[in-house]
Amino acid sequence: MERRGFLKGLAGACALTAVGAPTLSLGAEKPKSPNEISYEKALEVITNGKGAKDSDKVHLVVPEIAENGAVVPVKVTVNHPMEPNNYVKSIHILSTKNSNARCADIFLTPANGKAYFATRVKLGGTQEVVAVAELTDGTFIKAHKSVKVTIGGCG
Amino acid sequence: MDISRRDFLQIAAALGILGVGGNLMAGSHKRVDEITATDIMDFKPVGKVSLLHICDLHAHIKPLYWREPSTLISAPNLTGTPGFLCGESFADFYGVKPGTLEGYFDTYLNFEELAKKFGKMGGVAYIKSVVDEIRRDRGKDNVLLLDSGDTWQGTAVALKTDGEAIVKAQNYLGVDVMVGHWEFTYGKERVRELIDMLDAEFISQNIIDNDPFSDDFEELVFKPYTIKEVGGAKIGIIGQSFPFTSTANPKRFTEGWSFGLRLDTLQEYVDELRNDKKVDCVVLLSHDGFSVDQEVARKVHGIDFILSGHTHDPGPKPITINGTVIIIAGSHGKYVGRLDIDIRNKRVVDYNYKLIPIASNLITPDKQGIELVDALYRPYDQELNQVLGKTKGLLYKRDTFYSTFDALIGEAIRDEMDNEITFTPGYRWGTTLLPGDDILLDNVYEMTAITYPEVYTFELEGAKIAQLLEDIADNVFNANPLYQQGGDMSRLTGVTYDIKIGAPSGKRISNLKVNGKPLDPNRDYVVSAWGGNLQSVGKNLRESKIRPVYDITADYIKKKGTVDISRQSNVNILDVGCGCPKAGGICS
Repeated sequence: MERRGFLKGLAGACALTAVGAPTLSLGAEKPKSPNEISYEKALEVITNGKGAKDSDKVHLVVPEIAENGAVVPVKVTVNHPMEPNNYVKSIHILSTKNSNARCADIFLTPANGKAYFATRVKLGGTQEVVAVAELTDGTFIKAHKSVKVTIGGCG
Repeated sequence: MDISRRDFLQIAAALGILGVGGNLMAGSHKRVDEITATDIMDFKPVGKVSLLHICDLHAHIKPLYWREPSTLISAPNLTGTPGFLCGESFADFYGVKPGTLEGYFDTYLNFEELAKKFGKMGGVAYIKSVVDEIRRDRGKDNVLLLDSGDTWQGTAVALKTDGEAIVKAQNYLGVDVMVGHWEFTYGKERVRELIDMLDAEFISQNIIDNDPFSDDFEELVFKPYTIKEVGGAKIGIIGQSFPFTSTANPKRFTEGWSFGLRLDTLQEYVDELRNDKKVDCVVLLSHDGFSVDQEVARKVHGIDFILSGHTHDPGPKPITINGTVIIIAGSHGKYVGRLDIDIRNKRVVDYNYKLIPIASNLITPDKQGIELVDALYRPYDQELNQVLGKTKGLLYKRDTFYSTFDALIGEAIRDEMDNEITFTPGYRWGTTLLPGDDILLDNVYEMTAITYPEVYTFELEGAKIAQLLEDIADNVFNANPLYQQGGDMSRLTGVTYDIKIGAPSGKRISNLKVNGKPLDPNRDYVVSAWGGNLQSVGKNLRESKIRPVYDITADYIKKKGTVDISRQSNVNILDVGCGCPKAGGICS
């Protein structure tokens, strides 16, 4: 399957799985989500309490300023072999301030050939997007980047 | 010791033995009335290639007065750096002498007095004379004219012809390559039509199709770069349109396109041009803004020159970051940047740069250009030359928080809408009228000619107003240039506040008062706004009252006859002592 075709199929589906508060959460009243989970808690669950180390092997691409907080494109590439006993087992996309910090979990096998994933996530406000990758040796590596969500205006 | 010309210029500039811009510009120290067109054009040519640069014309095909800011406030870490200099700090940084032609063009100092002496600035017939002289001098195949965008929008003649008048002016000037920002506010389809009429190439590496159902999903909308053979060298020019078009301007104009800085792909194109296409020189033609482009130079490697735009800064001297030289040529047609490049053994070995002021009193205009401008204006002359009234004081745009022309627009909207608060956008384009000048309908359009001129009146809760102001302040005063959008702070009528620029995001504004009373976070206020999307977060929109801002402003001036606008700003800056601070926040 062509990369483009793959992405096309994905974009629609992922928007539905994304979670978070409204794009511009101007009001103080934040709806209490039944699935509320903080970034710290999510990271703990994903890494089984081990935590993840910052690594430049995780290449995270997000816009500096979101064009639309409801659909922020996120691309993750992990520069790591994808061999039978040494590969990237999973990629997790998290947000630091959404009411549910978990945006996407992707599980990989060596058959994927490359640890690459692209999706769109909903961001409830200016915050960091974090990509966490689990390696077969049981370690976790991550990268984070800030995305500004604004009503915009100048020019 | 073998001192190269560039070294010599740097030393000379440091010692102050040359004129402005490191050029042998004898004119800068002459008495003002001695300056001639020869002084303006005086330049020591280098190499065989000349790149001429224009940016942010904002459709001003006729000469105008344009006063640079008297207040240009930034995050403390950026204060006094290029892109955040004005008046005294600008003159000090660049070695510009107040009272000279450069002082008049580059700063607000003695503006009214010098305007009478030196006259209007810019105009395509005058730009053309300068460009043609350089083409004659250097040989036309050795010269490129590059346009950093914000060219098609900003005057009545542009708006009324949906951009076509300005494309004709660009074709007349012989623009070779351009990028865009306000261009996109004519809408995708019109942009395509105008590009078809345009002789220049329109390039952008940072606009991608964003419609998952289109066949071009994730494909480039325009060519990312072009390669030009000039003066025996191969020049690779990469395009960078305004990265935040879809947040700064209504999304509907570019629905299905995604913008952004896209530094990853920018680096890929730089590498592709160098390694695969074997170009001798890599140029980024950019509408990122001057401070953003300084960050780009820090993050992307291998660009020789960035020809910047968007933030309207005159840059009399190039700045160099990580080996990348950045230039920017002001706005409103006030300048042509001349960059001569010496390329040997497939690399840049030397360059010289000058920001040429388009002083209309000193330059003989090209006759064909005068005829073209007359012809483009003729259908609208009668309407646009209507005298609406007079101004008692100086009417200007720019400045970080407050300007008299914006205050006039705010008053006009308040008068018609009977509201409590007016938001007017912090655009950096417009015009300047001298004390006692007639105000023509054309001048009102120069301040308001946009394709979404509707003034909306609606209700907004006090708490939301406070939060919005913080959000806008963070777009202007963020310490990281990559999170700024390159405009000035939204102007407010009916509101006063204190601001601490260096405070954390969301905590800058205090003492917020509406018509003299403290803002009540729980009350709804009647607010009018134009040029943004504030109406989308308000309620009870007064649909029957929606009207274009130029009509409202023109009617108000007619009603008043003579307008007399206070120079007193409604914003009190707590942590900066003057409008044009030097590095470290020092005020002279």
